[in-house]
Amino acid sequence: MTWLLLAILAALPMPGTQFKQLPDSKGKAEIEHACYTCHSPDLLAQQRLTPKQWTATVEKMMRWGAELKESDKQVAIDYLSRHFGPENRFTPTATTPMK
Amino acid sequence: MDRRTFLGITAATAVMPKRLLQMNGYPLNLETPLELLTDYLTPNDLFFVRSHWIPRMPDLKTWRLTVDGEVKKPLKLSLADLKKMPLAETTCVLQCAGNGRGLQNPPMPGVQWRYGAVGNALWRGVRVKDVLDRAGVNAGAAHLHTFGSDDPPGKVPPFQRSIEMEKSLDDCILAWEMNGVPLPPQHGAPLRLIVPGWAGDHWMKWLVRLSPQKAPQSGFYMDTAYRWPLNPGAPGVAFKPEEMKPLTELAVKSNITTAPKAVTMRGIYDIRGFAFSGAPDIAKVEISDDNGATWKAAQLDARHSPHAWRLWHYRWTPAKPGRATLLARATDSRGATQPRETVWNQSGYLFNGWHSVDIEVKA
Repeated sequence: MTWLLLAILAALPMPGTQFKQLPDSKGKAEIEHACYTCHSPDLLAQQRLTPKQWTATVEKMMRWGAELKESDKQVAIDYLSRHFGPENRFTPTATTPMK
Repeated sequence: MDRRTFLGITAATAVMPKRLLQMNGYPLNLETPLELLTDYLTPNDLFFVRSHWIPRMPDLKTWRLTVDGEVKKPLKLSLADLKKMPLAETTCVLQCAGNGRGLQNPPMPGVQWRYGAVGNALWRGVRVKDVLDRAGVNAGAAHLHTFGSDDPPGKVPPFQRSIEMEKSLDDCILAWEMNGVPLPPQHGAPLRLIVPGWAGDHWMKWLVRLSPQKAPQSGFYMDTAYRWPLNPGAPGVAFKPEEMKPLTELAVKSNITTAPKAVTMRGIYDIRGFAFSGAPDIAKVEISDDNGATWKAAQLDARHSPHAWRLWHYRWTPAKPGRATLLARATDSRGATQPRETVWNQSGYLFNGWHSVDIEVKA
C-alpha cells in the first residue's frame, strides 16, 4: 500500500510545488476553467505562438473536451495571444522530483 | 498513507536541492539543466521526466502484463513471473522526441524543451523477444502494439503506440530496474519498454499490455503526432500527412555541457559534453572555434555500449582575445554528421543543430 501511495505522489506535483501564475487580464477565468483540468499553468506560460497557432490549439483542445463555450473561444484566444506570443520568454521553476 | 511515511517524504524533499526544471507541474514534465548532464549514467533523481497524462498506478499484488493479439497462447504475467526469465540489460540513451523544441524557429506548440530532455541509463529486465516467444507470435504479425496504464481525461485520445516487430525482437527490453534500483514511478514503474536508439515516444511507461498485430496502431499519436518529414521543407510550412513517415530513430547530436564563461590567453581549458545517435555508436566529435571553417577532434570516453551516449572532452587553447564561440558536432558510426541547422518540422522533433557556447577571452 505504501508503494502505491508513493507511486501516486511521485507522479503528481511534490508538496509545495509552485506553478507559474498567469497574468491578470480579460479571459483569464475562462482559460483557467478550460485548461487546468489537464495542464498546469506552466505549460501555457512557456508557449510562443501566433494568433493563428493559438486558434488551432484552442480548437483542438475544444475537440478533445476542454470546457470552453463557443461564445468564449475568441476571448480565450485573445488572452493567450496577448500574453504568450512569439516574443514570450519563459524561465522554468526549479523543482525536485522523488528519487 | 500513515503519518510516518508522510513526514518521511516531506523531510526527504525538504533537504533535496532543487535541480530540475519544471516544464509542466501536472502531468509531470521535468527537464535536466544541461550543465548537470556530465555523468555517463545520468542519476535517477536528475533524469528528465515526460508524462502525457497523470498515471493510474497499479497495486503490485494484482498488476499483470497482458500479452494478447496475434499470439498462440495469450499470457498474463506478474512481475515475479518476468523475473524468473533470463535477465537482460542495456545501457542506452533516452531522449524525448521533442527535446529542443524550444530552440526551433518559428516556434510551435508543445512542451518547450531546450537541451535537457535526455539522459543515459542502465536498464535491466527481460528481452521482449523472450516474452513474445513464450506467447508464440503468429506469422504475419509485423507490429507490436503497446499500452500503458495512464489514462487521459474526457475525449482526449489515449497515448497508444506500436513499433515494428523486427525492432522489438532485436534489442528491446521490458525494464523494471533503472541504474541498479527499482524503476522509479515517474519513469514508468513497475515496467517500461526500452527501445534502444529510438525516440522516447516508443518507450511506453507504466506498461500493462503488449499485443502483436498485423497492422500498425492507429490513432492521434500514430497518425498525426510523432511523424517526420520524408524530405526537408521550408521552416514554418507544415507538411501534409503523405509527406511524413513515423519518427523512429534518434538523430545524431552532441551537446557541450562544460565550458568556462571567461578565460585568459595563457591557459588551456577543458571542454566537455556528450554525443549520441540512432546509430549504435559515435565515431567522432569535433570542435570548431572559427564558425565551422576548421574542426579539431575531441577525445571520446572509452565507456560505451550500443546506443549509449559517448562522453567527450577537448583541451581548448584560445587563439585570440575577444569573444570566442565554440561549436560541437558529432558523426555517428554510420557516417551521418550533425548538421548546422536542424530539419524544421511542425512538431519540433529531434532538434540537432550545432550546439554553441560563447566564451570571453581576456588578453
